[in-house]
Amino acid sequence: MNGAVAKEFRRVDVSAALASRPATDESRGRQVEKEKHPKISVSGLSFFYSDNQALFENNIEIAGGKVTAVIGPSGCGKSTHIRVYNRIFELYRDQRAEGQVLLDGQNILSPSVDIIELRRRVGMIFQKPTPFPMSVFDNLAYGIRLHYKPSRSELQGRVEEALKSAALWDEVKDKLDKPGTALSGGQQQRLCIARAIAVEPEVLLMDEPTSAIDPVATARIEELVLELKGTYTIVIVTHNLQQAARISDSTAFFYKGYIVEHGDTRALFTKPKNKQTEDYLTGRFG
Amino acid sequence: MRPRRATYRKATDVGVKALSLLASLVGIFFLGWILFEVARRGLGAIDWQFFTQNPAPPGVEGGGLSSAIVGTLLITALATLIGVPLGVMAGVYLAEFGKQNRLGSSVRFAVNTMMGVPSILVGLFIYAIFVLPFGHFSGYAGAMSLAVIMIPVVARTTEDMLGLVPDALRESALALGAPRWRVTVSVVFRSAKSGMLTGILLAVARVSGETAPLLFTALNSPYWPSSLAEPTSNLTVTIFNYAMSPYADWQQAAWGASLLIMASVLGLTVFARVALKEKKG
Repeated sequence: MNGAVAKEFRRVDVSAALASRPATDESRGRQVEKEKHPKISVSGLSFFYSDNQALFENNIEIAGGKVTAVIGPSGCGKSTHIRVYNRIFELYRDQRAEGQVLLDGQNILSPSVDIIELRRRVGMIFQKPTPFPMSVFDNLAYGIRLHYKPSRSELQGRVEEALKSAALWDEVKDKLDKPGTALSGGQQQRLCIARAIAVEPEVLLMDEPTSAIDPVATARIEELVLELKGTYTIVIVTHNLQQAARISDSTAFFYKGYIVEHGDTRALFTKPKNKQTEDYLTGRFG
Repeated sequence: MRPRRATYRKATDVGVKALSLLASLVGIFFLGWILFEVARRGLGAIDWQFFTQNPAPPGVEGGGLSSAIVGTLLITALATLIGVPLGVMAGVYLAEFGKQNRLGSSVRFAVNTMMGVPSILVGLFIYAIFVLPFGHFSGYAGAMSLAVIMIPVVARTTEDMLGLVPDALRESALALGAPRWRVTVSVVFRSAKSGMLTGILLAVARVSGETAPLLFTALNSPYWPSSLAEPTSNLTVTIFNYAMSPYADWQQAAWGASLLIMASVLGLTVFARVALKEKKG
């Protein structure tokens, strides 16, 4: 596809996506808390893979109960950035974060933070669905049992509730004892969302959750994201600009480890303030 | 540019195919011959007595190898009990914690070296540290030498199998708030279960046919293995002794013992490869 066509294509498509958005949260019949303080407040966040710096002085505020989309070309630090929010990067010895990430005012990068509790509060969904090698029921029970001591009936209730929230219950209620890996790709991804929801998190990080999934399943997950916002603060990394336009309230544009622009999704897509953002949105690079 | 001719390429293709087919046929031919020969000569020795009676002195009618069968089972079982947990734990360290660090690479190097150490050296080593100081051979020493042979094999397969588990699965469990040990035990192990079991069974099969390390450790004995603290009867050293003896019935019994070991190892290997793989399917 040449540049001019790509540009045209992208413009038209994103505006269609923007138009398909529900007008306001209130119109969806949802109580939206007006929060004074951001749920997550990042300041001066830098990130290193060994000696390679991947993030440079990132500053961003993530509003509670909203969907924030993170867009930008491959390798620009989108995933790296959100992987700081639950400190999952610490699995790898050579990775290191500097700066401040406040979750409800508390710096999660401080060593005194209980990482188990942090990860209960900040759930994560990955690019490829990652059902554990166990039954559908046990996939959910696993997380619940990590943090709670439920009775049998409480456990069953919680599992059902989470599967319903993830719009999966009707499809799996008769195969709770089947292996999670036997579900379809889209179902597996919703299983992972249910699993994350089951431990009652406050924030859901989604790292390109639909890039390995077919369009129909993608649409279901986008619907789900819209249903879950409000209850959860959602940060979603996506390569799909239309997706960002359809489901997010605000959008952050990352480029080469910098947050170039962050603001209301509609405004960012229609009137980007920054030249680089505009170039990216119109398909001049990335 | 002049195009390459297809004739030459096709001829090479046929030639390589033929050579590799021939090579594998040669390999299979000898394996088949061994199996056939051992079965042919050994079947005659195997009867009820073979499994139920202790060895008879040369010239005396009857007798079996029950003591050696039980001794081998005991020694192998004890070796598995020692070797498998150590091997699995070493493998877990290598795959989960020591992937990049210095200790990890030293251990990995040691494991790879140990896999190549001739088993007779392991036997001599255990002889030096566990037989000489006590002044007598013992089944325990035999089990230890077999365990030492098992550890690197099990560690290596465990590391390989855990390495096949995608990092995304570990991250998912960690992201739910699972502590590292729980991720390893409940998610990673589960994922790698059939591969690890296969590796363990193959390691058991491998050591159950070892002779050299037992020669210097468990030695052998014609008696029922009532305690592993003394020289312990076992099949492989029995084969060694009987096959070298001038007595026809002993030689016959050696063939029978060979057949028994061969069949068990074959059975274990086939079980490990087929049964566990299908379950995964």
